[in-house]
Amino acid sequence: MFSFTQEQKIFDIQGISFGGQPGMYPTVLFAGLFFKGEPDFDTAKKHLQTISELSKQTGTPVIPDVFIRKAEYIPSILSFLENELSKKQPFSVDIIDPLIKIEVLCQLAEKKLLARTIYNSIHIGITQQERDALRQHTPAMVIVVAFNPKDTSPDGKIEVLENGAHLIETGLFHVIRDIGVEKILVDTAALAPGENSGAAIAAIPVIKEEYGLPTGCAIHNVVEKSRWLSGFNQAKKTVDAASNISIPLFGGDFAIFGPIENAEIVVPLIAWQDILVSEYTENYFGVNPISSHPRRILLQ
Amino acid sequence: MTEEYYPWGGEFTIGASKGCVAVVLLNIEYTPPEGVAIYGRLKTENIGIEKIIANTISNPFLRFLVICGDDIRGHRSGSSLIALHRNGIDSNHRIIEAPGAIPYIENLKEEAIKRFQAQLSVVDLIGESDTGKIDAVIADHIQKIPPPFGEPYIALRLKPEITVNITDNRALHSRIIIDYMGKVRKRGG
Repeated sequence: MFSFTQEQKIFDIQGISFGGQPGMYPTVLFAGLFFKGEPDFDTAKKHLQTISELSKQTGTPVIPDVFIRKAEYIPSILSFLENELSKKQPFSVDIIDPLIKIEVLCQLAEKKLLARTIYNSIHIGITQQERDALRQHTPAMVIVVAFNPKDTSPDGKIEVLENGAHLIETGLFHVIRDIGVEKILVDTAALAPGENSGAAIAAIPVIKEEYGLPTGCAIHNVVEKSRWLSGFNQAKKTVDAASNISIPLFGGDFAIFGPIENAEIVVPLIAWQDILVSEYTENYFGVNPISSHPRRILLQ
Repeated sequence: MTEEYYPWGGEFTIGASKGCVAVVLLNIEYTPPEGVAIYGRLKTENIGIEKIIANTISNPFLRFLVICGDDIRGHRSGSSLIALHRNGIDSNHRIIEAPGAIPYIENLKEEAIKRFQAQLSVVDLIGESDTGKIDAVIADHIQKIPPPFGEPYIALRLKPEITVNITDNRALHSRIIIDYMGKVRKRGG
């Protein structure tokens, strides 16, 4: 359990805060909402209700991270989010294809949802058209993925943020500043086993001390790519959920997990871990948890 | 050929020991026929492609690379692999004209890419999901029995140079120092 010398920035989106010294704010969870084929909004609605209830029970903020893979699904998915989430609930949009990213930004702007949007994500593959779209339709917060295919170590991750690591002409921080976004979450880019998977966790305290920015990752992706775990069916789900505790333990601020079906395990697990961190950091470093922290809610 | 001849590892299945056909599976449920030397799934347009290059040039018997199934959304890994074979990489190590999101080859020397381009002929079946047709194309290429392409090329994974001498073995990373109670500060700061 850590405390940082560097001042830690705190970014708020619609009442949910990211960052600060470990133990002050609860770890924010992003719950991956994927649709296989045609979106099944009835099931998705139940998942949204579940995360909302879990969040109220524990104090752990949970933000739906909605994966959009086809342009034809954009209108219905955005309408679903608009209608089913409370008017103050932020959400993130997780998109790979640059053209779909641009279209989603346009439609989010039309629906006036950008103030609730976390853009997942900006990385070295950003195109000029995507930059232009982001400048025109700027989301409230962005996740920047520090993926450096050349150097997967914490140094390599810092390099893409600082100077683009000769992969793009400027560092990703410069790209984001140029777009005009202040609220940045750094994703340390968890890679498969064999690809320096542990560096995503080691990079969390390194990046927080370097920049003071809210930092986290999707560590569960490493579990998904651990083929040997397929031989341990019962353990796999537990490992998948448990992997997330590495993030708050190493001082991180957010965890992207998936699928959303795992929320019933992951949310209490993270609340438990946050209590553990908070007890130490308050006792030793004098960090007071906020009133909505799981420790305040669950330990009366 | 045994697994030791595919030095970079990955998610693949090994078949005929002196087969000339390797099959890359994109979005498709399909098991290639006997006679194929190696097959496996391609997911990412960077590290995934690097593994394919390293694990094909290490086996000189491989002369055809069949790429089949629907391309991976967003990543466009199959089309990026074809672009690499056709165009190579630019000075930033980006695959020239690759449509994928992050198509960078960072862990292989250019020499390895040139070897890949020379050794393997790509058979582009992206978008093809009729497994009967794919079987027929593969069978056709297996029958060609081209000569092996010289000696195996074992690609070394390029590693970044370590520039910091770490003397404090309690440190998590050379940029920071963590004291015994958990206080983090910049090394030298």
